[in-house]
Amino acid sequence: MSDIPDAPKGPIGRFLAASPDGVGKTIAVAVFICLLASMIVSVAAVSLRPIQEANSLVDKQRNILEVAGIYEPGIDIQEAFQSFEPRVVDLATGRYTDQFDPATFDDAAAASDPELSVELDNDPAGIGRKALYRTVYLLNDDQGALERVILPVHGYGLWSTLYGFIALAPNGNDILALQFYQHGETPGLGAEVDNPRWKALWSGKELRGDGGDGDLKITVAKGVPSADMQAHQIDALAGATLTSVGVDNLVRFWMGEEGFGPYLENLREGGV
Amino acid sequence: MGARQFFDRIEPNFTKGGKYEKFFPLYEMVESFLYTPKTVTKAAPHARSFIDMKRIMTYVVIATIPCILIGLWNTGLQANEAIAAGLEPTGWRASIAGIFGYNPSNPLANFMHGFVYFLPIYITTLVVGGFWEVLFATIRRHEVNEGFLVTSMLYVLILPASTPLWQVALGISFGVVLGKEVFGGTGKNFLNPALTGRAFLYFAYPASMSGDSVWVPVDGYSGATALSISASQGFQDLAAQGITWWDAFFGTIQGCLGETSTLACLIGLAFLLATRIANWRLIVGCLAGTIGFSLLLNVIGSDTNPMFAMPWYWHIVLGGYAFGLAFMVTEPVSASHTNMGRYYYGALIGVMVVMIRVINPAFPEGMMLAILFANIFAPLIDHFVVQANIRRRAKRNV
Amino acid sequence: MPQVKRELLIDPLVDNNPITLQVLGICSALAVTSSLTVSFVMALAVIFVTAFSNFFISILRNQIPSSIRIIVQMVIIASLVILVDQVLKAYAYEISKTLSVFVGLIITNCIVMGRAEAFAMKNPPIPSFLDGLGNGMGYGLILMLVGFIRELFGAGSLFGVTILPTVNNGGWYVPNGMLLLPPSAFFIIGLLIWFFRTWKPAQVEKREFTIQTAEAH
Repeated sequence: MSDIPDAPKGPIGRFLAASPDGVGKTIAVAVFICLLASMIVSVAAVSLRPIQEANSLVDKQRNILEVAGIYEPGIDIQEAFQSFEPRVVDLATGRYTDQFDPATFDDAAAASDPELSVELDNDPAGIGRKALYRTVYLLNDDQGALERVILPVHGYGLWSTLYGFIALAPNGNDILALQFYQHGETPGLGAEVDNPRWKALWSGKELRGDGGDGDLKITVAKGVPSADMQAHQIDALAGATLTSVGVDNLVRFWMGEEGFGPYLENLREGGV
Repeated sequence: MGARQFFDRIEPNFTKGGKYEKFFPLYEMVESFLYTPKTVTKAAPHARSFIDMKRIMTYVVIATIPCILIGLWNTGLQANEAIAAGLEPTGWRASIAGIFGYNPSNPLANFMHGFVYFLPIYITTLVVGGFWEVLFATIRRHEVNEGFLVTSMLYVLILPASTPLWQVALGISFGVVLGKEVFGGTGKNFLNPALTGRAFLYFAYPASMSGDSVWVPVDGYSGATALSISASQGFQDLAAQGITWWDAFFGTIQGCLGETSTLACLIGLAFLLATRIANWRLIVGCLAGTIGFSLLLNVIGSDTNPMFAMPWYWHIVLGGYAFGLAFMVTEPVSASHTNMGRYYYGALIGVMVVMIRVINPAFPEGMMLAILFANIFAPLIDHFVVQANIRRRAKRNV
Repeated sequence: MPQVKRELLIDPLVDNNPITLQVLGICSALAVTSSLTVSFVMALAVIFVTAFSNFFISILRNQIPSSIRIIVQMVIIASLVILVDQVLKAYAYEISKTLSVFVGLIITNCIVMGRAEAFAMKNPPIPSFLDGLGNGMGYGLILMLVGFIRELFGAGSLFGVTILPTVNNGGWYVPNGMLLLPPSAFFIIGLLIWFFRTWKPAQVEKREFTIQTAEAH
């Protein structure tokens, strides 16, 4: 950066020496900077995209592993995930469909696609539109028998939509775990849905009465459960009434007739 | 007059150049608490008035007495009823109250049961708040004044009886330091310090300040306040829970230590109005705002939110409305100072409290937040009132 | 000259801190400081952006036409921010999810634009780089302090490691929920400013007016 005014040499030298406020130079500098910046940005974006997409996928898989109770810090997520079999379920019939490739089916996009979703009139979970097809994840044991079923659920709490997974036993009635991977509830109150102690309450609860044949009874409520509700009632979060109500609604919605109800019925009867 | 002579004798130690010069605020505090302040304005203009700061603050404390009495009795009543219903009294305070028995129909037992919860909270508040007050007075060289007595009493009365004492201490520290002293002490605070402390606790430790298990200081008791019942099931359901309008008016419902009884608050308010410490314009503005806005919401209605249907006469007897109206809205320092502004300031609180209670899903109670919100707007309201006046007069004199 | 360079680096830490003295960049300081890890990454991102945007803008300073200089600065800053955002998404996915839009909002962080306009446009590249580094660190220092207080007392942990076991997890510490809410950073930054100004009275602003005493008439 020499400040001594040499005689400008060559076209570049003359360009650099010209007053920056001329019209020609203003345009030239603007064009040059824009080109350079857009090149750097696009090279970065394009070259990093595969890693980013892999990250996003791993993140979702990790949540599924967590709710399935397999995840431990440090394990190879993609390898562990190999044991899961993703399938797309037609919610109306409750059967698997091969209409879509489970590997590429996008639940979020389906929920806003007018072809693949319906607008809900009766909408206790506060989700607006419901996709007609949803991806479920099946975990098989070494002999190939079904061990766990992992279903996506979401619904509105107090401030935000909670997204999560619920893991069920193959009988489609016993809850193994519930986990939310994305929400914006109040820290310390509604956000206690992430508290391991509260999540542990879900394990062992049953969705329906009479060993699966009765009514949908699972609920999140305060207070001591009556005798027939022992197996179905999860204690509500202290001080977070509306988040608890939201969780109650979304679980009941997705486990009910409008959600995975038909699928779970098929599962109980062993005929998916 | 032995005490007077004693004060006169030790005073030189505390005035400028004296041994304990640094502690003058402490001396002044004790002296002016016992006697009329000696300092008088020396330069013109003078205005004669029967009232001074000390008298204002003392009157406010006197006005809270009905609230304290009914509040303590009700706190004990609620606790004793819970015990009579089969719950075990727990903790050292309950064992002291046990001396008088746990009979809910014995007023003395109820009162004493409330008292064992009130007194430790009040002492904690005085000691911790007083510490900050004296510390700032000493460093900043202003006087400790009776305003703190008001702050501490109001603060205690708006806490749930089961508040842990360390939280009481944190809350009053926040209220006194950040609500008042950072701005220069009593008279310069634009927020109500008692409410600032309460709001701090409300957001910091919501589990001890809201919910269903904090209002009655008996372990294992769970019961929602009338407001949260109204928010979840609608005010019509209150009758099914055994709460009538008169219960809410007399204050035999769950709530903070001293704010459940609308009647007691009205007695206090009447006293403040009669002594002209509370400005009636604030009250009129606030009631008008509440009545107007809740009528509007009644007309709009809502299928999913039962609070829309709550009539105004329920709004004013539930939660901290009456207490806030009597002692917080009328607080002269943080309210608007112009007469016209007082109507607007009151109305802003009245509308906001209904808006928060009805439309915000997270906060069933809105009085505290509404008043703090209006505190912030008070100077702005005054500014506009003054500007409007200037414009009007300028036009007249063209 | 080395003395001057040292000052460029050290001065913005306390004496001329962008947050506590100039009160810039508050928005992100409120939003991202609820955990120390996130504050740390955010601080690094801002240090990177202020240092390099100052550097590049200073290189180009004699060529930038004054009529479009703000736009040119914006383009350079924005490119750097996008670069940081993309790298974070690729190599620190979890943290970039928590930071969400706030990485992108570094573009609007007044500290970056302020240093570019006030320093880099008038000074050679190396001092500009140091100035950017210093200001980024001054910002980062406050961010880390606020993050330390908020995470320790709000969640009982530091960098995600439990220090004070909370009641909900079977410990004794009752976490202060307000500290997890963004407005609490206002109080903490306010108290830090109070502390800094008590420590360095030179930072105290002049009163705009004084109240006359009655006796003065």
